[in-house]
Amino acid sequence: MATYPIRFLANGCVSLGRPGRWAATLTWQRGAGNVPGQYGLDSKSRPRILAGGAPEGHVLITFEGVTKRYPDGTVAVDHLDLEIPVGQTMVLVGPSGCGKTTSLRMINRMIDPTSGRILLDGQDIQQSDPPDLRRGIGYVIQQSGLFPHRTIEANIATVPLLIGWGKARARTRARELMELVGLEPQMASRYPYQLSGGQQQRVGVARALAADPPVLLMDEPFSAVDPIVRASLQDELIKLQSELHKTIVLVTHDVEEAIKVGDQVAIFRPGGKIAQVDTPERLLGSPADDYVENFLGFDRGIRRLSFLAASGLNLTDSAVVSAGTPAAQAAQAARRAGESWLLVVDADRKPLGWAAVDELESSPVEAKAGGAQLMAYGHTFDVSSDSLRAALDATVLSPAGQAAGVDDLGRVVGVTSYDRLRTAILAADARSAQADVTEAAAES
Amino acid sequence: MMWSWIPSNAGLIRQYTLDNAYLGIVPALLGLVISVPLGIACVRWRWLYPPVLSATSILYALPSLALFIVLIPYTGLTDTTVIIPLTLFSLCILLPNVVDGLRSVPGPVRQAATAMGFGPLRRLVQVELPIAVPLVIAGLRIAVVSSISLASVGQLMGIYSLGYFFIDGYQRDFPTEIVVGLVLIIALALVCDVLLVGARRLLTPWQPRRARRGNRRVLRGRAVLEVPEVAA
Amino acid sequence: MSFLSYAWGWLRAPVQWHGSDGIPIRILQHLGYTGLSLLIAALIAVPLGILIGHTGRGALLVVNVANAWRAIPTLGLLVLAVITLGFSPLAWLIPLVVLAIPPILVNAYEGVAGVDPEIRDAAQGMGMTPWQQVLKVEVPVALPLIMLGLRTGAIFVVATATIAAEIGLGGLGRYIIDGLASNNYGEVAGGAALVVVLALVVQVVFVGLRRLVVPAGLRKQERPT
Repeated sequence: MATYPIRFLANGCVSLGRPGRWAATLTWQRGAGNVPGQYGLDSKSRPRILAGGAPEGHVLITFEGVTKRYPDGTVAVDHLDLEIPVGQTMVLVGPSGCGKTTSLRMINRMIDPTSGRILLDGQDIQQSDPPDLRRGIGYVIQQSGLFPHRTIEANIATVPLLIGWGKARARTRARELMELVGLEPQMASRYPYQLSGGQQQRVGVARALAADPPVLLMDEPFSAVDPIVRASLQDELIKLQSELHKTIVLVTHDVEEAIKVGDQVAIFRPGGKIAQVDTPERLLGSPADDYVENFLGFDRGIRRLSFLAASGLNLTDSAVVSAGTPAAQAAQAARRAGESWLLVVDADRKPLGWAAVDELESSPVEAKAGGAQLMAYGHTFDVSSDSLRAALDATVLSPAGQAAGVDDLGRVVGVTSYDRLRTAILAADARSAQADVTEAAAES
Repeated sequence: MMWSWIPSNAGLIRQYTLDNAYLGIVPALLGLVISVPLGIACVRWRWLYPPVLSATSILYALPSLALFIVLIPYTGLTDTTVIIPLTLFSLCILLPNVVDGLRSVPGPVRQAATAMGFGPLRRLVQVELPIAVPLVIAGLRIAVVSSISLASVGQLMGIYSLGYFFIDGYQRDFPTEIVVGLVLIIALALVCDVLLVGARRLLTPWQPRRARRGNRRVLRGRAVLEVPEVAA
Repeated sequence: MSFLSYAWGWLRAPVQWHGSDGIPIRILQHLGYTGLSLLIAALIAVPLGILIGHTGRGALLVVNVANAWRAIPTLGLLVLAVITLGFSPLAWLIPLVVLAIPPILVNAYEGVAGVDPEIRDAAQGMGMTPWQQVLKVEVPVALPLIMLGLRTGAIFVVATATIAAEIGLGGLGRYIIDGLASNNYGEVAGGAALVVVLALVVQVVFVGLRRLVVPAGLRKQERPT
């Protein structure tokens, strides 16, 4: 406590334009040098952490028995143990009052735990001076919290300027980030009140990323915008993450968002305890208990399919026929293969429609398959990039009860049916069960 | 109205106008200088605000003439006798504006600043005070206008201002003087008001130009209109 | 000597308390001027403010009044009134009323206009006629601000009445003006002291009045004094 006035004054000196050095000297008695894994700031560059790439699976943030109890007795977080791996998106999800936001805010010391500790790259964050710590962690909140009195560019450049970058460098960085989050350059000199909610939120994300922090905290970042904007922001986050590989901790109350965006999802129970932490796929496939199952929602079986690739499907060629084939011949081949519907394709192997084999049989001798009355082929699914869920959806929507799988140019690869889908699902389950066993064996 | 009186007394008119301007603007500025740190303290230590506010309310209720008189044994019949009470009145007006201005900083903005690593002092100087500027200037406008008009009361004790024309005109039964005095005080107040609005526009390019509906701030019953709300 | 010793010296003298120039009479006069002006101003400004607040028309007038009225010098107005109207009661009544109207008007307007639109909506949805909405819902909700407007108006009227002694009005200002004229600082100080006390008492009365008139549920909404 005695150090508080010193630290406050130090901060005052910091704000007088000598960033980092004073505060670092006063609060880092154990030598703020180039110790690997040491979380600290040097004055002129971005925060140093994980010098050199950290190995995959390396845990960056650890909660050890963290509890937050308030004076009136409410327990917001109850003996939380959680490991957040580096370079992945960890989503904390749960109902209101379950402690997810409290946990998030303990990472950058906006709230301090009552007991337990939080480690950032092996170092207890209690040992860091909060402002220093926070300059190395990006923070995005629901209402963006943009400074209304500064331009967009100035808003984004806030932390870089704070840690001592030159104005020119900070400005260039701001422009880079605007492009990264999809904002037009002429927005740079506008003020927040001139932007829409979605645009403001993008600026918020850009601002959080400006100093290139290794960790990004997001507290219900997309809840305040309408569903269409929300979906596009979620997609952009996924894209961004695929390029940047930040360690993201995101809080949401929307389990769909958690599943869409998260690499790992932690489901919280009311009272600040965790019910299950897993990949979205395994959560949907094997929920730990009734609470998790209820929380995930009623059609988790189908939703799980979006994590299984359609490339695992065995597609058949026998139901595909080109438009130029004589009808009688096509019908004969179909009967032999046991198909009652044929997918007619053109010369480029693009789908034209479904023809009933009955009708082909009863058509005149010189008719071609393409001349028959064709039913619309409905939706197709991309074999290389779509999921089993897309394939199932296409099958359900198809009048023939079968869906056409196409490649990236739209050419038909093959046709699937309910039976084939069922086989593919069972195979995928078997594979993932096998993977679980292998993983368990490796850990033991 | 005897128009010829005006040019023949131009010197006097100019002198008293300047005197009145001095007696009006200086207290407002002094009030600002006192109310900003005091307001910051009241926001930082919440328990401080209610008693301080009560004290200023009580002070504000006292007639200015009485306060001038109270000071006479100590400051004689000088400008200071007028400036001190008017400074206190300006303080009464400005303090709630400073506090409200600081409190008008939206929660998310304050949180974001903290989360980005702003220390408390930097946050105050770089975020909270700039955002408080519109409300503070609104208060300053009221303070300046009030002080300019109240300064004329000092003439009753011989402290010269445009109030001279009121007394002189009354004693000589000469309406022209009185009207000139009235017009000049109101004009002076208007000019200062417009200048302050201009200053606000210069200092806060980040605010929307038009005051939208529902942008009015009621500050302790002294309605302040035309102050755009801070867009978060 | 300090202000207080001057004032006390003068107040102690028993002669001050008797006769037509005595303190009790002057106090009553002052209260009389204050009360009358405030009453008339309220009768004009409160209904007008409520009307403008409810209908929204004429809000521009209120805006301009709010910004401009503080610029009007009380002394100038009083003196002008006397010169043009002679020494009739109107000479002091009109300026006092004119200076009391703005705070009452602006606050009454703010009070009614600031009623939560949802409350208004609910009242209309319940089937209240416009009159009922105003009288049963908007005015009660606006009451704290209306009271505050009256209180603020009282501050200005008490102060203006003091200055009005310059144009011959009675009341406590009499001591100040007469004392200044005859260089009797004791009288001046005594008058000033009395005015201060009166002003404070009037404020206390209004605070008490507010407690009586404003329903408990609304009292919390305004910021504490």
